[in-house]
Amino acid sequence: MKMKKVMAAMLAGMMLVSMAGCGTGAQGGSDSAGTDSAQTQESTDGKSTLTIWASGSDNVRQVFETLIDDFNNNSEYADKYQAELQFMLSGTGTQSMTDMLAAAYKAKQTDTDYDLVDLGGDDLSKVISQIGEEAFVKLDKNKIPNSENVEAKSALATDYVQPYRGTTVILAYDSEKVPTPPKTMDELVQWMKDNPGRFAYNAPGTGGAGDSFVRTSVYNYMPEEAITSDDPSWEDQWTEGFDFLKSIHPYMYQSGGSVVYPSKNQGTLDLLNQGEIDMCPNWADMVLSQRAEGTLKDTIKITQIDPSLTGSLQSLAIPTFGSNEEGAYAFMNYILTTAAQEILVKQMAAIPLIDTAQLDMTGYEDVESLDVSNFRIMSIGDLSTDFNEKWDNEIGTLN
Amino acid sequence: MKNKTKGLLAAYGMVLPAFLVVMLTVAYPIVSAVIQSFQDEDTGAFTTANYTYFFTETAQRNNLLYTLFVVIVTVVIAIVLAYLLALYLRFVKSGISRAIGMLYLLPRFVPTMCAVYAMITIIRDSGLINRIGLLFGLDIKLGLMYHASGIIVMNMWFNIPFATMMIAAGLGAIPDSIIEASRDSGAGRWKTFTSMILPLSMKDVVVASTFVFMSNVGSFTTPYLMGGNSPKMLGIALYDQFNKYLSYNRSAALSVIMFLICSVSAAVYIYTNLKEKDWEK
Repeated sequence: MKMKKVMAAMLAGMMLVSMAGCGTGAQGGSDSAGTDSAQTQESTDGKSTLTIWASGSDNVRQVFETLIDDFNNNSEYADKYQAELQFMLSGTGTQSMTDMLAAAYKAKQTDTDYDLVDLGGDDLSKVISQIGEEAFVKLDKNKIPNSENVEAKSALATDYVQPYRGTTVILAYDSEKVPTPPKTMDELVQWMKDNPGRFAYNAPGTGGAGDSFVRTSVYNYMPEEAITSDDPSWEDQWTEGFDFLKSIHPYMYQSGGSVVYPSKNQGTLDLLNQGEIDMCPNWADMVLSQRAEGTLKDTIKITQIDPSLTGSLQSLAIPTFGSNEEGAYAFMNYILTTAAQEILVKQMAAIPLIDTAQLDMTGYEDVESLDVSNFRIMSIGDLSTDFNEKWDNEIGTLN
Repeated sequence: MKNKTKGLLAAYGMVLPAFLVVMLTVAYPIVSAVIQSFQDEDTGAFTTANYTYFFTETAQRNNLLYTLFVVIVTVVIAIVLAYLLALYLRFVKSGISRAIGMLYLLPRFVPTMCAVYAMITIIRDSGLINRIGLLFGLDIKLGLMYHASGIIVMNMWFNIPFATMMIAAGLGAIPDSIIEASRDSGAGRWKTFTSMILPLSMKDVVVASTFVFMSNVGSFTTPYLMGGNSPKMLGIALYDQFNKYLSYNRSAALSVIMFLICSVSAAVYIYTNLKEKDWEK
């Protein structure tokens, strides 16, 4: 008798546990999870909830958390909106945010909590090619008064997205070993040949700096308009650039007797910091913020070459299928205030889009030399997939 | 009778949640992956091209051979070292051996990522070993990074403790009386080892090998951070196919190939277990 009761209790317990397990599993795995909280729009204290979606490296998450905290507590909108962050770390399925947006749009969902999304570079061009710019609200600049101070414009979907920061790939070098850094691509190649084994770029597909280096190397041999086109016919013209990459291959960093292209932007940056190489392409914001934190040597400096490595503008956009358009406009306006732009500079060494004279740039003077108006912006959309595969097959396999 | 049915129902009820979870999270994905692996990416028609790709493309075939090489070398070295360590722990009774017996599992509790980065800072060409060497005027470049040997060194960290644990359990089950009996009848140490200890612990060695083999076929973190660009281990090759090239059908085919490689080892494991049952009869 007693045994039976125990059994029944155990059974019930197990059922409960397994059901609870299923519940969380289904929520985590399903793409529609984003729609769940849309109903709880009005939170108890009368503020309306604004959900912001972003993806990228961990520093992007950190800066958004700071911005949202400031927005919720200190900004002029503090009483009206309660912003929340949904963040997806890149490299753990980077296609997901763009795919989730495309899926929600194509499934004709409305009133979701995709209130405001952070897009730039490949993500933006992917979304635009998948669902088109009309999936986003055409921006009413009157609702973003601070945008008057911003001159930079997105090359894609200009009227639908609001740029708020810039970022660019630069050449990071150790000024102790390289007193006069190369100014052009040709000088860089000459430098590589004079100093074999002292240059490295990370394997494309593992980090944006390597992507930028190989793509600009290839597209330097092609007409200017190719760099912003996702037309597959351009693929035929990649050959010359890939031959160039093959020609510099023997002068790259070596370990264990063969040439190595490390994984991730941090991979090359670590080599540079350890003194195993003297130069590598990397993100300006990564180099400068790590140097400010003291994890990189002070002697590591940045420079740009001509033709330049690619940069991109990061923008915010309001999906038409979100549920808090006013809140989204408020955050867009907030992010262009001097306070928010200073957070972006200080915390991630982002390139501000408002006049730097209004900002306290102490410690980040290098950022001022990077002018967003000279940015070489690349968007080759889905061609990047073929590009990386070609690199892996033709360059990655060389010995 | 009624009680029996109730008991049966309760038994099924207890098994059911686990069964459903396995069906949903293991069986269903396997079936759908197998189906997808035979489908053409664009048309969905039947094709074996996804499989031939991995055996005919030089780079992909090299990935396969490279993975087998790394895994087999890992298994052999890890098992030999683990066996020696387990023997020491079982037959040498001293303060040191007791201390090792308590500490040897520690590496298992260090998070993978931390352990890999720790190893990198020690063995990289500008790492700890190199810096110590420089103090004595030696420029030691191990060349382990981005190389198979580095991955194998790292694999030792994770697999020796695990294999030792399994083998030590097997050696612990060998009664002292057997060894004493063997010694009494005049067998030397070597003879006792080859004709008593080794055969009695063989099953655990095989089981430990299969586990080490399977866990390394699909390894990701170590080869991602320490491996070179080509050839790559299959875990990375799969990541490329899925996340970089977005070829889901090829990814499915590669998953099935990895599954088959592992099932060879699983078959060995099941066979060893069945043989044991046979012997017990």
